Amino acid sequence: MKLKDYIELSTANLWKTKLRTFLTTFGVIIGIGALVSMLAFGTGMQKNVINAFNAMELFNYLMVFPEPFSPKINAEDLILDNEAIGSFTKLKGVEAAFPDIRFPAEIGFRDKKEFSFIQVLPAQFADTKLVQLRAGSVYEADDAGSMIISDSFLRRLDIRDFERVLGQKVRLSTLVLDFSEFNPLDLVGLLGGEKLPLTMKNYELTIVGVSERMGMGGPSLLRSDVIISPTAADKMKKITMTNLWDLFQQSSRKGGYSLVNIKVSSPKYVDSVRSKVEDMGFRTFAIIDQLEEIRTGFFFMDMILAAIGMIALVVASLGIINTMIMSVMERYSEIGVMKAVGARDRDVQKIFFFESSIIGFLGGVFGLGLGWVVSLLINRVVNYFLAQQGVPAIDYFSFPWWLCLGAVGFAVFVSLVSGIYPAMRAARVDPVVALRHD
Amino acid sequence: MNSQLALKTDKLTKTYITGKIEVTALKDADLSVKKGGFIGITGESGSGKSTLMNLLGGLDTPTSGTIEAEGKIISRMNKEELALYRRYSVGMIFQSFNLIPSFTAQENVSLPLLFAGVPKAERKARAAEALENVGLSHRQRHRPSELSGGEQQRVAIARALVNQPKILLADEPTGNLDSKISHDIAELLGNLNQSRGLTVVMVSHEEPLLKEFAQGIIRLRDGMITAREMI
Ligand SMILES: Nc1ncnc2c1ncn2[C@@H]1O[C@H](COP(=O)(O)OP(=O)(O)O)[C@@H](O)[C@H]1O
Ligand SMILES: [Mg+2]
Repeated sequence: MKLKDYIELSTANLWKTKLRTFLTTFGVIIGIGALVSMLAFGTGMQKNVINAFNAMELFNYLMVFPEPFSPKINAEDLILDNEAIGSFTKLKGVEAAFPDIRFPAEIGFRDKKEFSFIQVLPAQFADTKLVQLRAGSVYEADDAGSMIISDSFLRRLDIRDFERVLGQKVRLSTLVLDFSEFNPLDLVGLLGGEKLPLTMKNYELTIVGVSERMGMGGPSLLRSDVIISPTAADKMKKITMTNLWDLFQQSSRKGGYSLVNIKVSSPKYVDSVRSKVEDMGFRTFAIIDQLEEIRTGFFFMDMILAAIGMIALVVASLGIINTMIMSVMERYSEIGVMKAVGARDRDVQKIFFFESSIIGFLGGVFGLGLGWVVSLLINRVVNYFLAQQGVPAIDYFSFPWWLCLGAVGFAVFVSLVSGIYPAMRAARVDPVVALRHD
Repeated sequence: MNSQLALKTDKLTKTYITGKIEVTALKDADLSVKKGGFIGITGESGSGKSTLMNLLGGLDTPTSGTIEAEGKIISRMNKEELALYRRYSVGMIFQSFNLIPSFTAQENVSLPLLFAGVPKAERKARAAEALENVGLSHRQRHRPSELSGGEQQRVAIARALVNQPKILLADEPTGNLDSKISHDIAELLGNLNQSRGLTVVMVSHEEPLLKEFAQGIIRLRDGMITAREMI
């Protein structure tokens, strides 16, 4: 029997029970539709995150800490100063190296006060993809009076028209350790964390730009609501603090930065630059190292989404088994006739396998279509509501070719597995019994 | 085996076991049918006629004894070989026609060719020819429900012969037909036997029919051959 004959015969058989075939196939359509839209969502989210990382060139960054790379190195000898930055800049593939300074301050704008971190970023780096401007521009290199504010800070103030805040003043209140007014007798209170010898200093800066603050576990580098130039930062009295330890290390460290960012021109240089920096003794961290972990994380998310989608498909597969067993029982004598005229057991088996795989194939193709349409609708609706919050539209679902082919292939696979038992029963029909008329 | 024989059995025995009950449907049956012969089989209901036909047709396997057909030992064949034997070497027809109701006459006749892997166009042509040979060229596209009993049995005969087997086994082919039509069918089998040298084994209760067309009659009783008559 030829492939074409099998398809023709099986299609004719399925067509004889149109309604039942349609209902069974519809079950598969829903199952595959659910699975496909779930996986399309997982794939879409992964794509969005990786794209965002790539757009910000985050995989091109390497962080350097003034901490020993290995225990053999003496921490005292490690100074992460301008000289070190200079030597990083000379390494092959390094586009730039710049100190990352952050300090806590209270941001006062209009009637809102919020405690946050201020990011110090040289103008030439602020003027890269690192800072995505939504309005205005970046400050000039030596501009001490200007700042960039984040869109999310403004959104918390219910400000949506970012252009209007340009030129307005923001008050930054920095924390200063002031031992001049500190009474040594309060030392006990200090250790208990009650009376830190802290005072505030106020500065006023003008907004020149509004930046996009990345959510979704974006990098610490850009998590600040306010970005200012090193010139502006130098003029402020403050405690620099990248981590809590800085508060205590402040006095012991003679010069040097607590963190330097290195930007390479391409992610392929990360490894070579890193090994050279580590040769100098510094500990490093690269976000690209997290890529595998991000992928693993998404893989588990996909698995959970797929498991949810699978429930509908398992139900659909029970439907196929039911339909096929009914079909075998109804066509008992027909199977006997086929065997009497020379059908082998495997010929009979194949006829039923073809029937269930046609159900699977149609269910897969139309299920893919259903998943696609549903995803499109959800995407529209979500983007419509998020647009009202000022969030730009993106595709939350992604349909790569492997997902489309895989969906149809998997549907056929599931229906073949569902057809195993019914097809075996058909093959085992005893023609003598099936053809007996009494 | 004598090369003049189409069928030969030796101590052919079939015992059915259902639960604890054993029924010996056929016991030590020795029989031979010449090539181009026409043998009639008769006997009461339950005497083992269908059992014998199913064994000869390769639908069932004996408990003991041997069957030879056209020089091949059927009783030693595996399931796969038996299927091919049924496909190419033997044709069977039954009391209850056993046509597929949703298929047209032509599609029913094409079925053995389908399993033989014959291309569609050739299937159509050969099925049409087989229907013509049984006098049904005007009923190609009719479904079984649109045909009379006699016409349905003719379709079944066309189907049994479409792969050009040398042997035709007919298990009470006239059991569901009135006497005039029964005679027509038996006559058709007689003609096929005469004109093509087709070996025919026909089971029937109607002895006059057998006497008219068969060359010999075998009587079965309780699974045993009790008489052989030459006509
Ligand atoms: N598959 C079977 N299982 C059990 N007993 C059977 C089976 N087929 C036939 N028999 C028994 O074998 C005997 C012969 O049956 P059968 O060959 O059909 O007789 P006939 O065709 O002469 O009427 C009967 O007693 C019948 O009940
Ligand atoms: Mg019988």
